[in-house]
Amino acid sequence: MKFLCTDCDTAMKFKDVTRPEQGSVTALFECPDCFTEIAMFLNPSETQMLKSLDLQLGGTNAAAQPMQMVRSQLETAKSDAMPNEVSPETSASETAEGGKCPFTSVISDAFQEAPEPAEPTGPVWTPEALERLDRIPSFVRPMAKMGIESFAKENGHDEITGTVMDAARGNFPAQF
Amino acid sequence: MKSYKELPSDAGSNIIGQVTAQANRVQKRLTSVKHTVAIMSGKGGVGKSSLTANLATALTLKGNAVGVVDADINGPTLAKMMGVRNATLTYTPAGVKPAITTLGTKLISMDLLLAEDDAPVLWNAHTQKDAFTWRSTMEVSALREFIADTEWGTLDYLLLDLPPGTDRLPNVVELIPNLGGVIVVTIPSEVSQLIVKKSVTMTRDILNVPIIGIVENMASYVCQHCGEEEHLFVTEEPLDDVFQKISLGAVPFDPRLARASDNGIAYLDEHPDAPASKALIQIAEKVQAFFEGEDLHALPVGAVS
Ligand SMILES: Nc1ncnc2c1ncn2[C@@H]1O[C@H](COP(=O)(O)OP(=O)(O)OP(=O)(O)O)[C@@H](O)[C@H]1O
Ligand SMILES: [Mg+2]
Ligand SMILES: [Zn+2]
Repeated sequence: MKFLCTDCDTAMKFKDVTRPEQGSVTALFECPDCFTEIAMFLNPSETQMLKSLDLQLGGTNAAAQPMQMVRSQLETAKSDAMPNEVSPETSASETAEGGKCPFTSVISDAFQEAPEPAEPTGPVWTPEALERLDRIPSFVRPMAKMGIESFAKENGHDEITGTVMDAARGNFPAQF
Repeated sequence: MKSYKELPSDAGSNIIGQVTAQANRVQKRLTSVKHTVAIMSGKGGVGKSSLTANLATALTLKGNAVGVVDADINGPTLAKMMGVRNATLTYTPAGVKPAITTLGTKLISMDLLLAEDDAPVLWNAHTQKDAFTWRSTMEVSALREFIADTEWGTLDYLLLDLPPGTDRLPNVVELIPNLGGVIVVTIPSEVSQLIVKKSVTMTRDILNVPIIGIVENMASYVCQHCGEEEHLFVTEEPLDDVFQKISLGAVPFDPRLARASDNGIAYLDEHPDAPASKALIQIAEKVQAFFEGEDLHALPVGAVS
């Protein structure tokens, strides 16, 4: 996949990638000349494809860790499936961390689903607003939903109504 | 406006570079492995895993350094069969240390990562539907990591026990382009032979991988009391001529073999004089001969029994 800034006729560069939110990953690309940013949304299936191939968007500088895919993606692994080899000098610090490998935790974090909030603290969607949300193309919906929710929170709305959506709309490129 | 070809790389993700790096990791690990052997069958439950475990033992007892990859990612059985179900894999930045049997055979298996024998292999995903869609891709990645990231050390043989069917072989060939050869396991029934034909065609003619030979499992039953050999399948057809020429031998049915598998005991070590053990040792010798450059398949048919 390549991206071109059509204004500058310049290849866009990868900038950042988010952790999956509701199974969907967002990657940001930027034009190095005019700094225009675009967001690319991967749906859960596309996100899963990358995970299953153990490929990282934006490439990776870190050398691959042994069995990083299996170690980070197997849900039904026993808790001590692959403990670190404990050498006498390092054992103290490692046990302090609960024996978790510093490398793989970084790697697995990158592709692990963001934790669900403990209790629903976000604003409540009215049926009318939900219906409008449903009309947003599915590939941008999770992003739009989060955006509207954080807009509502920032502006002190406990309820997301059509009016709140209209107000939030100015902040988003997508039409809804 | 610039075209696709005029743009550099893929916006920085370098997917091709990542895939190449993955392949290189496999190649690097395999430089210290002399021979790679895939054990396959067209049908399930014909004894691939039992053969893999016993062949590994036989080759180990002959003084070879042997490693085994349980390539049946979704239905792993080898840790139990080889008696290392409770082993712990230790992780080092250089690789994962495999389980090692009492005889010194090394094993990597999904079994070793799962808490219970009946724990399913479930992959992290937003919904399990997404996980299922990409399941076989996950399995191939897991297999790649098993081969590339296990600290095998120097090996004479690396055996791969495949899941039933021929589907996974193309993936194995992609991971190991210079795969040493394939052993096809079969049971003597007509339908099974049709499937063997397909497996042989797939391996030799489509994937261009050498066939080491065919193993006929559970062909007969040897009475433990009188030593008399009985055929197990009433409708049994002899192996087709073509197959007889590439037969590595027939392993009789022996309930002690099944029991040894269940208990994780090395059958060959426990019952070295049993007819099935003798057959298994002969098979191991023929596998060695194959890699030592002997033309197995030129042997007279009678010599293979
Ligand atoms: N020669 C034999 N004598 C007695 N029992 C055998 C023999 N070969 C295999 N078995 C038993 O048959 C059953 C199936 O064998 P095994 O699991 O090795 O087959 P498989 O081809 O690996 O199966 P799958 O396709 O499910 O992976 C096991 O219980 C095993 O112990
Ligand atoms: Mg099996
Ligand atoms: Zn630009």
